[in-house]
Amino acid sequence: MKLKLTVLSLVLLGGVSYGLYQLSYEVQALEREYAALNENIVKNREAIRILKAEWTYQNRPDVLQALAGKYLPLLLIAPYQVASVAEVPYPAVDPEKFSVPVPQYNPHRNYTPVVPARPVPNGPVQLATFTRGGAVQ
Amino acid sequence: MSELTWLTKSPRPRITLTNPLSHSHSDDRHMALRLEGSAKETLEQGRNRLVIALVVFAFCFVILSGRLVGLAISGIGADEAVATSGDVSPPVALGEGKRADIRDRNGVLLATTLATASLFAEPKNVIDPKEAAVKLATVLDDMSEATILSRLSSARNFVWLKRNLTPTQQYRVNALGIPGLHFRTEEKRFYPMGSLVSHVLGFTDVDNRGIAGVEKYFDGQLAGSEGGPAQELMLSIDVRIQHALRDEITRHMSVFRAIGGAGMVMDVKSGEILGLVSLPDFDPNRPSDFSGDAKFNRITLGVYEMGSTFKTFTTAMALDAGTVGLADGYDATEPIRKAGFRIRDDHPKKRWLSVPEIFMYSSNIGAAKMAEDVGTKHQKAFLAKLGMLDKPSLEVPEVGAPILPPRWNSLETMTISFGHGLSVSPLQLSAGISAMVNGGKYINPTVVLREEGTAKPVRDVISPKTSDIIRRLMRLVVEKGTGGRAAAEGYVVGGKTGTAEKAVDGRYKRDALIASFVGAFPMDDPSYVVFAMLDEPKGNASTHGFRSAGWTAAPIISRLISRIGPILSVTPVNEASEELQKALFIPINSKEKSLASF
Repeated sequence: MKLKLTVLSLVLLGGVSYGLYQLSYEVQALEREYAALNENIVKNREAIRILKAEWTYQNRPDVLQALAGKYLPLLLIAPYQVASVAEVPYPAVDPEKFSVPVPQYNPHRNYTPVVPARPVPNGPVQLATFTRGGAVQ
Repeated sequence: MSELTWLTKSPRPRITLTNPLSHSHSDDRHMALRLEGSAKETLEQGRNRLVIALVVFAFCFVILSGRLVGLAISGIGADEAVATSGDVSPPVALGEGKRADIRDRNGVLLATTLATASLFAEPKNVIDPKEAAVKLATVLDDMSEATILSRLSSARNFVWLKRNLTPTQQYRVNALGIPGLHFRTEEKRFYPMGSLVSHVLGFTDVDNRGIAGVEKYFDGQLAGSEGGPAQELMLSIDVRIQHALRDEITRHMSVFRAIGGAGMVMDVKSGEILGLVSLPDFDPNRPSDFSGDAKFNRITLGVYEMGSTFKTFTTAMALDAGTVGLADGYDATEPIRKAGFRIRDDHPKKRWLSVPEIFMYSSNIGAAKMAEDVGTKHQKAFLAKLGMLDKPSLEVPEVGAPILPPRWNSLETMTISFGHGLSVSPLQLSAGISAMVNGGKYINPTVVLREEGTAKPVRDVISPKTSDIIRRLMRLVVEKGTGGRAAAEGYVVGGKTGTAEKAVDGRYKRDALIASFVGAFPMDDPSYVVFAMLDEPKGNASTHGFRSAGWTAAPIISRLISRIGPILSVTPVNEASEELQKALFIPINSKEKSLASF
């Protein structure tokens, strides 16, 4: 009986200390990982700062102007080149007749029109394939 | 009898031991331990002391083992880390200890803080300073060998070699492998736009303290010392407009071989400054490489006799006071002689001029007579309301106070009416012109982004009706007067030219001019005031040798407005449309025709 108790307590002691040390090492490993992660975040933030500064530096207006002058055939915007959407002439076409281009072959015999989920935007610009109701003709 | 006797002072117990080796002499065969007197008591005391010592030691061991278990649980040296990581809610503080960024109105980065390595030495640990100096001089190319050697052989424990190395330099210094050299991570203020926004931003010293511009004015906010963390700063500047402004002024400075130039774009309704350029300028990344002239802010710190642009104020003042009507005018046939001075016209018409004519032909004689009728007292009060007599308020430390005439009598009233005798900064002039065209309300200019609708007019300067007339008059100058070259098709530009001789050593230099143009657009409902100035422009073939503002400064405005108009989403209109012509119509009431037919 006494021997059993001694063995039991020894095993218990061994088990508990093993668990304890295991836990301790695990915690230490997590601590290290945590510190490394924090360090990484700081480093990445610093890198982001540098990249942002670099991006701004590369996009200086004078650099962009020089590049645009070299590669784009653009001149100063003349007043007639500026207009609002409302000013764009919209051809007076009868939507009942000419809203859909005539297909060269019959695409689907049993075609059911798809009703768009989003409403068609109001205003002068209208997609040719949409009626005011929103259905494809 | 040989006895070892331990004798102490009398009250102490006495133990007498018989020597066991001397038994041959003794009759007594047994070794005896005799307890004499209070010996028993002594023994008891000894045992007590032993027990106390035992308890103390046991306690110590318990503590030691407890600590051992504790260490096994938490790990050696990790106690502090565990404690702090529990306290701080965000594990990594955001940009902790860093000077905050400065951005423009669209969020473009103008100033940021980056970590760089700085090289320092511990001279005591440098084994061979001579060799180290030779090696270091190959890497730090802007430092001589002798300088490095003198620093390395100093008696101090710590000496800076170079602050803010480039990563390449850091790598190469590391590769040299010299003992006693160390790096310290430091912060360096970086301005990605270079010299583009230099005068507004200012710059910082090596310890990142702002010493000029908004860097100085908002030092507390940016560094975060004034209670709480560092806060970002949003300026009202728009880099696209700033660039267009700088580009145009630089171009025209070289065309007209001017020694300096300046320009400004300001929102008349909010007082926000969208662009502020003073040339020559400097690179805030390396301010020490530039002269004081480059760091001089001609817009805010420089005060100049602005010349004819002041006629806008004179005309507004006279119209608002009612001393003259639009149909009235003055005789400008003869120059005015007063107190030994002669006031004459640069573009003499030698006839009677109506008020719109005085303005569009920029007649000094007419303006002087107009101001004389209003009177010195009223002029002084009017200019004070326009902020011309006080130091303006702006969020940069470099703000110049105007230079007032020592005496202000009728002669000064006359000269100030056409912009001589009173020196103001271009900032004051632009703010004044804003008040002229925005309906008559003076708004404090600012370089910091204002939320829409938060701009508070400080005071009413002129009536909205007078402001409307001034708009038409300024449009007239560009349409038919001296400012024709400032026209930008579609943007309905209006403005006023100003050519002033520079005063050097108390005398006017005829060959050194300050040519300026202050304008606004679109004139039917002005949104922006633009100002351009050239310091000592020279005429060339394209201007037929002229160097007055109408030839040199006005073209800047034309190009500039064509460039920035679309950015500012000002819709170009048909200037010839009847509607617009009607809105900006002004009766000139010229008597020229009748005189010609005479």
